[in-house]
Amino acid sequence: MARSLKKGPYIDFRLDNKVQTMNDSGKKSVIKTWSRRSMISPDFIGHTFAVHNGNKFIPVYVTENMVGHKLGEFAPTRNFRGHVAKKDKGKR
Amino acid sequence: MTKDDCYLLGHITKTHGVNGELVFFLDVDDPNVYEELESVLIEVKGDLLPYFIESIAIVKGSRAIVAIEGIDTIEQASRLIKANLYLPLDNLEPIEDNTRFYFHEIVDFRIIDSNEGELGTVTTVYNMDTQDLIEMSYQGKEVLIPINSDIVHTVDRTNKTLNVTLPDGLLDVYLSDAPDHTDAPDGDEAYDED
Repeated sequence: MARSLKKGPYIDFRLDNKVQTMNDSGKKSVIKTWSRRSMISPDFIGHTFAVHNGNKFIPVYVTENMVGHKLGEFAPTRNFRGHVAKKDKGKR
Repeated sequence: MTKDDCYLLGHITKTHGVNGELVFFLDVDDPNVYEELESVLIEVKGDLLPYFIESIAIVKGSRAIVAIEGIDTIEQASRLIKANLYLPLDNLEPIEDNTRFYFHEIVDFRIIDSNEGELGTVTTVYNMDTQDLIEMSYQGKEVLIPINSDIVHTVDRTNKTLNVTLPDGLLDVYLSDAPDHTDAPDGDEAYDED
């Protein structure tokens, strides 16, 4: 069941405070967090979060299209392997 | 032709209909580039065999319904399920622009940070659904860097370097000697560090 709309999105209180402080000061440094369940709010855009996946921190650079998702969605906990097979894939 | 001379286009997922058509999963950035594909190399028992394509229709989600010459029955088609698809590297359009690159071409490139200078080398690239990451070897440790225009700026193919501006504190996340779990909170109310 989806979260009740009247509650608003869940964002860890201290994480939200940190982002607000950084936004006020104009500083952008990496924020370490274990709060995978926190929803990405529009204030997070442009910040980089080091999200713990149970083993290590995965850096997540927040962009517009990530808003509304949870931080944990971007730090996979399983099958985290690299493959650099030659493919028609790259930075565009 | 060997796999070294080719790039991985995708794989065959299943048959489609009863006339030997196949569903290709195209593991590429833009599947529409392949809507006029005429031939493909299919890996069968370790060998790359050329097949000619009769018709191809790109459908939603990087998938294509393909009819291949000489494959007319579902029995013939089902033998090719899970086979990898390749194309010659010559078909891969070379990128001249220094702000764009293929992931496989930056392996072993040196990473130059605009503030810290030379850091380390690219060991691998994680290509995930949600975001792409560069793994860098730095002072014997693994450092992950998100691939984004604000962080990864340009690539210098002649000098084999990648110019980046790492966010403040990213290296500290990986270089701290303390095990991660010592900082970790115990309860629900303390999931954030510091």
